[in-house]
Amino acid sequence: MKVSGNSSELVAADGVETGLPSRALLWLFGSFAILLTPQLDRLPIWLIAACLVLAGWRGAAQFGHVRLPGRWLRTGIMLVLVAVYITTVEGRFTVDTAASFFVLAVGLKWLETRTVRDFYVLFFILAYLGTVNFLFHQEIHWSLVNILAVALLLVGLQIINAPDLPGSVKAGWKRLGLMLLKTLPIVVLLFVFFPRMEPLWSVPLVSGQARTGISDTMRPGDISNLAQSSERAFRATFGGQMPAYRDRYWRGLILDYLDGETWRQRDRDPLQHPGRVALDGGVGELESGQYDVLLEPTDQRWAFALEDSRAVSSNVVEEAEDLFRFRRPADTSVRYRLAREEPGDQGRKFLTYEQRRRYLQLPATGNPRARQFARELRSQYGDIELVQALLTRFREQPYFYTLRPPTMGDNGIDNLLFDSRRGFCAHYAGATTFLLRSAGIPARVVVGYQGGAPGAGGDYLIVRQYDAHAWVEAWVGDRGWVRIDPTAAIAPSRIESGLRDAVADEGSFLENNWASPQRYADIAVIQWASLQLDRINYQWQRWIVGYQGQTQMNLMSRLPGSFGMRELGYLTAGIVGVGLLIAGLVSAWQMRRGGSRDAFLRIIGGWHHLSAKAGVPVRVGETPSTLALRLAKAEPAVAESARLFAHSINSHYYSVGSSAGRDRELKRLRRLLQTMKKQLRRRHSTMGKRS
Amino acid sequence: MKNHVSERWQRWVNRRLPRSDVQTFSQKNIFILPTGAGVVFGILLLIMLITGINYQNSLIYLVTFLLGAVFVGAMHQTHRNLSGLQLALVQPGEGVAGDEVPFRFRATAGRDDAVAIMLSCEEFSLGATHIKAGQSKDMTLPVPSAYRGYLRPERIRVETRFPFGLLKAWSWIRPVSSGIVSPRPLAAPEVASTIEAGDETEQTNPAPGNDHADLRPWREGDPSQRVMWKRYARSGQMVVADWEGERGSPHWLDFNAFPGADYELRLSYLAWLVNERERTGARFGLSLPGQVIEPDSGSSHVSRCLRALAVWGEERPRDAMTERHGSRQSESDEADGPQRRRA
Repeated sequence: MKVSGNSSELVAADGVETGLPSRALLWLFGSFAILLTPQLDRLPIWLIAACLVLAGWRGAAQFGHVRLPGRWLRTGIMLVLVAVYITTVEGRFTVDTAASFFVLAVGLKWLETRTVRDFYVLFFILAYLGTVNFLFHQEIHWSLVNILAVALLLVGLQIINAPDLPGSVKAGWKRLGLMLLKTLPIVVLLFVFFPRMEPLWSVPLVSGQARTGISDTMRPGDISNLAQSSERAFRATFGGQMPAYRDRYWRGLILDYLDGETWRQRDRDPLQHPGRVALDGGVGELESGQYDVLLEPTDQRWAFALEDSRAVSSNVVEEAEDLFRFRRPADTSVRYRLAREEPGDQGRKFLTYEQRRRYLQLPATGNPRARQFARELRSQYGDIELVQALLTRFREQPYFYTLRPPTMGDNGIDNLLFDSRRGFCAHYAGATTFLLRSAGIPARVVVGYQGGAPGAGGDYLIVRQYDAHAWVEAWVGDRGWVRIDPTAAIAPSRIESGLRDAVADEGSFLENNWASPQRYADIAVIQWASLQLDRINYQWQRWIVGYQGQTQMNLMSRLPGSFGMRELGYLTAGIVGVGLLIAGLVSAWQMRRGGSRDAFLRIIGGWHHLSAKAGVPVRVGETPSTLALRLAKAEPAVAESARLFAHSINSHYYSVGSSAGRDRELKRLRRLLQTMKKQLRRRHSTMGKRS
Repeated sequence: MKNHVSERWQRWVNRRLPRSDVQTFSQKNIFILPTGAGVVFGILLLIMLITGINYQNSLIYLVTFLLGAVFVGAMHQTHRNLSGLQLALVQPGEGVAGDEVPFRFRATAGRDDAVAIMLSCEEFSLGATHIKAGQSKDMTLPVPSAYRGYLRPERIRVETRFPFGLLKAWSWIRPVSSGIVSPRPLAAPEVASTIEAGDETEQTNPAPGNDHADLRPWREGDPSQRVMWKRYARSGQMVVADWEGERGSPHWLDFNAFPGADYELRLSYLAWLVNERERTGARFGLSLPGQVIEPDSGSSHVSRCLRALAVWGEERPRDAMTERHGSRQSESDEADGPQRRRA
């Protein structure tokens, strides 16, 4: 079989230098621009600029303004850009850097897109770029953007395959749309039933980029920076009653070591193994008391949980100090499930000597007034009373909760407690822990989130970065660890209804964040739109993005029969097979139905059939007229109709007719055929009666 | 082995596509396979799927399935593009051996538009043509010819890769009618026709009323009767007399005027002479063994003569005759055809 070698050669209508039609190339440009947008926040600026210049160069060459670089120049450009890339990457090899390199490769390919073959290469790598984009953004709008870009590519392909076809863009969209629409059922079935296998090999996604979110160190002022961000931290759905606002304390991690001004974890998290976090939190319906958390990527192992929770899904494990951890850093959004328990008897309530030392640790020096104050309190009160007294002091004395705290200088805790009296939750939590430890009460700082606003429909909570919070836990005699939140004493509205109300007088809520829709919460439309978008995205993330192995198995377990991976595999193969079969049958049926040209043949066929039944089978080479004559002889009843029928056929085939007359002819033939059938039937029935 | 397989494949294809000047393409005779780009596309889908599996990314699964569905959709589209198309050989061409002979086809689209249809024959192919549903378009395809005679292309390939170029659907038309290829003209040596050459005396004696003769040295190919033997005996020089009146009639171009020359060569000479006569506008007749064309002039006469030269000794290819691909010569050659040596 010979493939004609020059069939891919296209007539160069334009693009003198390259022979690729601008009309087709334009779609690849568009797709490339769209595919870059989801990556804008991730890619280094020089790379974006380089991509724009390279694609622009190609565009200018298309219109003959410049020439495409020769081989040496091209190699030079490539080497320079790769060198820049290598220096910026500094040897980190992650998916992030690999994706950046891929973008660079796409950019460079523009310079050597001269032939149809290159066009296809560009098509393939752009399509894969769309895939890579999904690794970084999975929100519904980015997904639609990506799919749109891929659709542009497919339209471009249609144009390069028929560059001179008029109206090809519109037809191309229509064709593509119909194609997608027709195959949608198969795509949906495949999506549901295609077995979600375990990763074939482990590939870390962790990127070097900084993420907004709480960290494992807390300097005074850290969390107030975070309070300027309205990015989503996680969303939570509750089975049953949502807890009251004031009880929404999401514990993340514990800072128990004061190092000068900075609170840290004494035991750092063990070295993290690179690898993928288990995304699966799907374990059937939410039962009462359970809640699902859909965490945005943090690149950390921390899972946020309400107090007194236990792990339900297998991708989180409970560690010491009632904290929950993933086995791997959360490099994409993760869903996990926990259940709240009644704060029952914790059993033996004692701290080991080691623990006691740890939770009483303080720097050797610093903040003498606070230490002095703690000693005074200690001499007056027992453990519980001391805590009460401290909170009363915060409540009654003019302490202010502010997003604009003054700089504290040395002995910041002294300054906060006795001089400025203005601070944010992190300041007060740190100071309170310091005081308690100075007074000999084991205490620790807890960092996490507090609060969360209901999403559209009120069926789930959205917790944002500005809900980040720090509070204190103290070991109080026989009661064990007790939550103490100085912020609740100073600014009750922060705990009751959130940061917005707490800093309403100050007007500092999201004051540096002009673009955040949450800033304009008082404008109902914006609020509504932002919540609706969030709801759609949440459902998207839960059901589409998060549709993975465990979720699939849960869904399958509801179907009759036991579905394992193997059965799913068979099922998938079956779906593909049946889909192809149906498509084949439909197209065969469409063929058989034939065009209007065949309509006449079909009617003639019907006539032949009818006369054969009447005992007059058609002979080879017989004209309609002779058949009509023979039929008339055998069945005189149909003589007239048969004659007219034959006449009409003859006039159809042997006279020049307009296409308008054709429909009339068809109708007439059909009517005549019906008449003949009726006449024959009538005759047979009368014959039957007579005999 | 490979030859054997390809031969069986050819036979199978030929059975599905009987020789006909009109061919309507349908499921029965359309072949469809991925192109190179289609294969790469398949590999891309595989890579995408592996990416989806490894990163447990549902959306990558989704895009992979979408693109896979597009591929399947493209299969139907590409097929439908060709299916229903009717290709008819309107006019088989005429030409000169070694040149491309233009064959005119008429393509009529069925219920669907036929987009980017390409016709090709061996290495010659036409650019993509688009035909709207129900409409017709004429295309002229050059078919390469090697020898004079009837030119019946074994297969004309019709192919489309629309819409995405990932798949190609193709079929063939195997025309019944053949084009006619006249011999490639070769400058003929000046020789006399033998038509009126009765005997030697007539030839050596000047015609009455015309005693003018050109004397020139003998050159190879001159018939020995023309040599002035008397002069040779006298001077030892071979001299030939060109008697104006004595030469065979210039009206006649005669196959037998080139004794000793190969038959194909004679035909080429004659083709050249025909063209010469056409150029000067002279009247001439053509005499071939078994066929005589009376003297006449004009373009229709010329083409009649060229056609006669083209098919002399050839047998018109018959419909039922299954021939091996690429071989126009068949059993008839050995049976009754003149012995021909082919370059």
